[in-house]
Amino acid sequence: MLANVPEARPIAGGATLVAMINADLVRPAALVSLDGIAELSGISGTAAGGLRIGAMTRHRETASDPRLADSLRLVAEAAAVIANPVVRNMGTMGGSIAFSDPCADYPSALVAARAEIEVAGPTGRRRVPAAEFFVDWYTTALEEGEIVVAIHLPPAVAGVSTYRKIARTAGDFAIAACAAVVEDGGAVRVAVGGCGPVPIADPAAEAGLAGRLAEPGVVRAFAAGLAEMADPMSDVRGSAAYRLRLIPRLVEATLGDLAGMREQAA
Amino acid sequence: MTGDSDFKLDINGRTRRFDVPATTTLLTLLRDELNVTSPKRGCNQGVCGACTVEVDGWPVRACLTLAAGCAGKPVRTIEGAGDALTGALQRSFVALGAVQCGFCTSGMLISARDLLRRVPRPTIEQVQAALSGNICRCTGYRKIVDAVLAAAEECAP
Repeated sequence: MLANVPEARPIAGGATLVAMINADLVRPAALVSLDGIAELSGISGTAAGGLRIGAMTRHRETASDPRLADSLRLVAEAAAVIANPVVRNMGTMGGSIAFSDPCADYPSALVAARAEIEVAGPTGRRRVPAAEFFVDWYTTALEEGEIVVAIHLPPAVAGVSTYRKIARTAGDFAIAACAAVVEDGGAVRVAVGGCGPVPIADPAAEAGLAGRLAEPGVVRAFAAGLAEMADPMSDVRGSAAYRLRLIPRLVEATLGDLAGMREQAA
Repeated sequence: MTGDSDFKLDINGRTRRFDVPATTTLLTLLRDELNVTSPKRGCNQGVCGACTVEVDGWPVRACLTLAAGCAGKPVRTIEGAGDALTGALQRSFVALGAVQCGFCTSGMLISARDLLRRVPRPTIEQVQAALSGNICRCTGYRKIVDAVLAAAEECAP
């Protein structure tokens, strides 16, 4: 039906699409509810030892799943700071990422978590790494007629991870956000959200950071590098100049906290 | 614009059949079709919380919920609440002056009841977090939080 009816829209939790319909920003020719498709709901373990989060999984479920621990904890932390408890009962991970709002919480968290997005459409299924799924402002790698089926996370690795958001008030969209993972083996992954069309990450620079979080100069240079890659917008939440000043401080503070958590755990 | 859909809904224990456009929200159905007016239309964007109702046991925004999607899921508003917890919250809101203009009150009660069902003895921070999606433009938050804590005190096992 999605493929055959032009301008038909799939609807997940409704937290974004119904608000847009109410504001008369979109007038879908038809709505196809994704509710009730068993495959799209719930969080399950994968044969590879990772987790599969069905696209219709509500933020509430993601925020409270104990399997999202260690290197995957940042995904639960991102879910826990979306909007407010009532909206977290409604909104879904698939719906959120398909909208690709750069100030939303999942994009940077999923990039730092090395998630893969499973999509399905008239021509079959494919998997897209999170870093390639978010293409531009409100634009994803989804083709016409495709929907998000699930989000696949790699097996949790011993280590620490977190999602930090700077926002005007609890539940608001991010002015800037930092999703970060520090594995016990030393590997570091960082993605910055809210500061450009897509999450900002620099895997090559991350490689140079491995095992060197105790060296302030190295961390500072890494954080400054992410700020240089940013192309933030000015909006009601903060100016571009403000965001550019926030990024290095937020990244340094987040990595400092994670390094501290590892020391405490050791 | 969108085809009609025909479905049945259980609203406050009464089941009725509806035939409305597919984009009809639960809020529009409740207020404009059924005259169930405890859920308020504030922002119509899911931000203010004044339209909060319970669907399938969970608080949701009625303005962001499509009515047709509620088929098979009990819809409960404050009109349908006869439980002890809601009664205690209502008395406590009145006793402590937690109602000013009253526009946010129904949504506050739904969110507060959900919290107390799951966390019978919440901390003040847990109450604030639970009500963080319910905006009071009279800004009477202090008394609302006090009233929820008082109701918890009365009802907690």
